[in-house]
Parts: sequence; C-alpha cells; structure tokens
Amino acid sequence: MKLGRSLPVVFLGPALIVLIILAAVPTLYAFNISLQNRTLSAPDADYVWFANYIALFGDARFLNALWVSLKWEVLTVSATMIVGIGLAIAMFEAATPRWRNVLTLLFIIPVLLPRVCAAFVWKFSFHPLYGAVTWPVRAITGETPDILASPLGAMLAVAFVDVWQWGPVFAVIILKLMEALPPQPLEAARIDRCKRWEIHVFITLPMLKLPLISLILVKAIESLRSFDLVYVMTRGGPGIATETLDMYAYSQGFIEAGKISYASGMAVVMLVLTVVMFTMIWKRLNR
Amino acid sequence: MARDLWEEIKLKYTALTASVLAGLMGTSALAQQICEDDVMVLAQPRDGLTLLEDYYDEFEELSGAGFQIDYLNENDRRAKSQADASTVGSFNVYYVDEANLPLFASSEWIVPLEGYYPEDYDYEDFDAGMRSVASYDGKQWFAPIQGGGDLMVYRTDLLEEAGIEPPQTWEDFKTAVAELHDPDNGVYGIALRGQRGSGANVWRWLPLFAAHGGEWVDDSGEFAFNSDAAVKATEEYLELFQYSAPGTQTGSFDESTGAFRSGKVALIIESAPLGAMSKDPSQSQVVDSVAFTPPPTPLPGSGYAHGFAIASRANETEEQKACAGLFVAWATSKEQEARRLAEGQPGELTRTSTYESPAYVETFGENLSAAMAATGDSTEVLFWQDPDWQELGNAWGIKLEELIIGSRTDIQGALDELSELANAM
Repeated sequence: MKLGRSLPVVFLGPALIVLIILAAVPTLYAFNISLQNRTLSAPDADYVWFANYIALFGDARFLNALWVSLKWEVLTVSATMIVGIGLAIAMFEAATPRWRNVLTLLFIIPVLLPRVCAAFVWKFSFHPLYGAVTWPVRAITGETPDILASPLGAMLAVAFVDVWQWGPVFAVIILKLMEALPPQPLEAARIDRCKRWEIHVFITLPMLKLPLISLILVKAIESLRSFDLVYVMTRGGPGIATETLDMYAYSQGFIEAGKISYASGMAVVMLVLTVVMFTMIWKRLNR
Repeated sequence: MARDLWEEIKLKYTALTASVLAGLMGTSALAQQICEDDVMVLAQPRDGLTLLEDYYDEFEELSGAGFQIDYLNENDRRAKSQADASTVGSFNVYYVDEANLPLFASSEWIVPLEGYYPEDYDYEDFDAGMRSVASYDGKQWFAPIQGGGDLMVYRTDLLEEAGIEPPQTWEDFKTAVAELHDPDNGVYGIALRGQRGSGANVWRWLPLFAAHGGEWVDDSGEFAFNSDAAVKATEEYLELFQYSAPGTQTGSFDESTGAFRSGKVALIIESAPLGAMSKDPSQSQVVDSVAFTPPPTPLPGSGYAHGFAIASRANETEEQKACAGLFVAWATSKEQEARRLAEGQPGELTRTSTYESPAYVETFGENLSAAMAATGDSTEVLFWQDPDWQELGNAWGIKLEELIIGSRTDIQGALDELSELANAM
C-alpha cells in the first residue's frame, strides 16, 4: 500500500525536477527582472515593482502588438486547421495508399525547412520585381505588386508562409488519425447513402474531436513563437502592422532601447495571457 | 596589348608587395613587445577580420602576445558588448559603430585613442568622414574598419541617352530623377530606403533633414524634431518615393542597391560601399555603365563607420591600454588594408591613401577613386549623437515607413509625436 502511494512520486519526481529547473527558474527570473528598471546600458538596477506593467498598458505600440498577436493566432491557427483537414480528407477520399505515402513525404518537407530559410525564400518570391509569386501579375498586367508594402498584404503573406509550413504536416497527422478510425461507422453511413461530406462532417471529424483540439493547441503555441518568420519577412512592418508581441519585446530589449526589464514585462504578460486563454479554450472545447 | 597588361599587373603587385614589406618592417622596428596577455576582441563577422586572423603570428611577433576574436552578428554584438562593458569587462577591444559610440563613450566603457594609438600608424590617413564619425565630444574613440559617407552613383548610358548631365545640385537631381523615370521600360528614377529603422529609412532621410537646415535641438535647448525642416525633408522624401523602384518601400540598403545593380535604376545616392559593389561583375550587371560623384549640393553625406575601440574595464593599467591600442592600430593599418584590397574586399577600405593608390585605381577605375577621395569632404555625422538616438531613430523609422506606404498621411502629426517621445525620454 505504501509502495503503491509512493510509486507516482518516484516516476513523476525526476521529470518534475527537470521541468522546474528548465521552465520555472527562467520564468521566475524573467518575472524578477520585470519588476526592476534594468537596461543593457547600465550595470545596476532598482526595483520599480509594477511600474513596467503600468507603463505597458499605456503603451499604444504594446496594445497594437497584443492586437496583432491575436489576429495572427486566429488567422494562422484557423487557416492551418482548414488546410490540414481539407488536404487530409482529399487524400483519404482520392489517393491510393501508394500516393498517400508519396504525398506524406512531400507534405513533411516544408516543416523540415528552417523557418529563417523559408522566410528568406518566400520574401524573395514576393518581391515585386523579381519574385516568382508576383511574376504572373507582372507578365499579364505589367504591374509590380508589392505585397509586403501593405499592412493587410504583409500580414497575409507572412501567415501564408506559416500555413505553408504547418498545414501540410497537419494534413499528414489528420490523415493518419482518420486511417486509424474504426471502419464500421463509415461503412454504415455509406450503406445509409450518406454523402461524402456528410460522412466527414457528422462522423469522422466528431470522432477526431479530441486529437483535433490537441492539434489546435499545439498550433496555437507554435504560432506564438513566430518571431523568426516576422523578423525576416517584415521586421514587424510596414510600420507596426505585423509587430507581434515577441517581435516588439525583442525590439525593446535588444534592437531599439535595451530595456530588458520592460521586455521581460511583456514576456510575463504574454505568458499569463497564454496560460489563461489556453486553459479556458481547452475546458470549453473539451466539454 | 597582352604584354602591357602583364607589365601593369607586375607593377601593381610589385608595388603592393613593397608597400606591405615596408609597412611590416617599419612597424616591427618601431614596436615594443608590450603585451603580456592575449588581446580579447569582440567583433562582428567581417571578411577583413577573417583575413586578419591569418596574420596571427605577425601580431604575436610585434606585441609579444596573440589575440582572440569572438564574433557575433550585429544586434547580438551590440547587446553582448553593452552587457560586457557595463558588468564584467572581459574584452580588451570592442567593435563599436556610429550608433553606439555615444553610449560607450559617455558611459566611459572605452577610452579615447589618443596616447594609445601609435603615431606611426597614421590615424590622419583614415577617410575624413569616418574620422568625424569616430569622434565624440571632441575626441577620437575608434579606428575605422569599414564605413564612409554617401556617393551619387548613376547610369552613364541612361543619362547620355536622355541628354542629361550628371546633376550637381539637389534641384537638378530631382529633375533628372523625374525625367529618367520610365517604368514601362523597366527603369526607375531612383531607389530609396523605406524599411523602418534608424539605420534604414531614417539614414537616407537624414541628408535631406540636414540640407533643409534641420537641427536636433534648437537654440533654446528644446527638441526640434517637429521643425519646418523636418516637415520639408519628409515631404521631399515622400515625393521622391513615387519614382523609387518597387520593393524599396519596405526595403533597405540591400533592396535599393540590388535594384540599382540589376540595372533597374537610373540614379541613386547611397552609402559608399555601393561604389565598389557596382564595379564588381559578380554583384553588378551595370559594371560598364556606372559613374560616381559626391552627393549633389547642398546634400551632405550620411557618415557611418564601424571600428575597434580600447575597452576601459578590461584594460586597467596603462600597459594594457597600450597593448589594446597596438592591436587596434595593427588591425586597421595600411598594410592590412593593402591585403584586403589584394584579396578583393572593397567594402572594408577606410584610408585615403588606399583610395588614391594605383592598385585601387587599377581595380575600380579613376572615377571611383576620385569620388571616394572627394566624398569625405561632404560627409558629416547627421544622426543625433546621443545614447537615446537608437530608440528615437527607430521610433521615427516606424512613422516614416507608415508615411511611405500611406497608412498614415499626417507628417506634422507624426513629427509632433516624435517630439513628445523625445521630451518624455
């Protein structure tokens, strides 16, 4: 009895210790710094307690970054899921097992490409004078569309690259989940002359609800770490149209002002918002 | 013809070898072995520094110790050097640039070169523009590794075809840009920088601000970021953007010079390294049809420079400072420059004697040689030499980019906001 009670501690203990060291220590350190007025240019710092947090919510650029991050999350997560589910259903319905294997291999390639490389390749592809994406418009109309020079175009272009990387690999995961479903409900639906879309909307996707929720959360977490993509493609521009929270935190911490404490404050706010929002979403979707 | 060419090549390399040997003998004879420990250097990657490491033994023989260079990219190098200089001080020599010189100098993280930079290395030979960028509070703080002012670079074929003389004045320049703008035939009048940043769009806007008489602080000591000069400079900058090549609205040096080097642009005013780049066949499609002059009057050149400075915290004693000074001088000497030129590294040449040397003229032509030597006279420090410049310059960069792409239109309002930010700082 005693051994049975202590067994979970034995198994969980080492993992929890590693987790505490890797996650809790940097988090607490960041929180501690966020309560100070530390900058890169000064060796000393004083505690200013919550002054950085108060300043943050009066900072129009921070509020813009919050709004941009929210738009970015909704856009990239929903588009990735739509592309992933759409491609998975298309492969499930139309591809032979051999073609599924070939497509699976192809669909994994984009996510294997380092984000910075992908960002550089696509940035050049969107170039109005030399880009492959803009070439048809140049050839047909003679115009030179500068997609990254408009706030909406830049946001959509960067989101496109994100979805290009993650949509196909999600399609592969969802396809494998669909293949693992028991065939009887699908056969019964076919005997009842259900249409194909009805089978997926009313049977396969509801059966995959839990793994799909997990995928949504994984993508949402991944989307929060979009710094490299944004930095290479737009640097948060034009203006501040694609300046996400992590991009703004980096700018304040390293590029512009060296305000390490202010940037840490942003990181803490981002952490708190993420935990609260993800917990709420998880509970709501998991009912 | 082939014999003449061979003779020229022989002459060039004989002269080069002689100058290197003479330099080495001279410096070796004069130097004392003053270093006790290896010199620790924090820098950002540069071809010239990689080449420098090939001559490690030379410095060891000269000084009595070796050196170690740690490389970080620009942003990380800035962050690391600030953190190191303000805390532990583990580097004897820092790589500093025009943007962080005021911070390093005013924080006393580096010491002035005077007294530690050996006279034999001829500091006055550095380009006048770069020397002015390396000065702060009336003292010289670093020896340039790269830098320069601005050049006006133009397509001779397009100007001749249109019957336009190379513009000498800013008004003529604007007229020429408008006349040469022919997007239907794939030629744009100019290429500017639109991307946000104190070193990007703001950098190209600064000469206009100065040409209109703009000052960062007015006579009463108040910030003058929202002055008439700033408004006029911004209006002109935005007006010129209608002739700027596509892709430059959110681009910086790479995008604008890339458009020029691919033959899409008639006239451009850009940082001096574009000169050698546009004469390099591996980087330029307009090698045979470019020419160079200093910027049209009254436009000053926007001076920039990166270089090596002597750290204060890691060099506690006078001997340590002298050792670091010797490294700074040796690493930026005429001999090293001759080696860089021979290796085909034109972007990292900093001395007037190099621009006027037969080897330089042979490689890049007399026109660029003359323009490079002349541009120093019109080069000025145009940005606000203050530790807060980075924050303020970047804030203006964001607003300027918004004005360029048209997501906001109120120039005066944008400048007023900038002024408010400056006062709040």
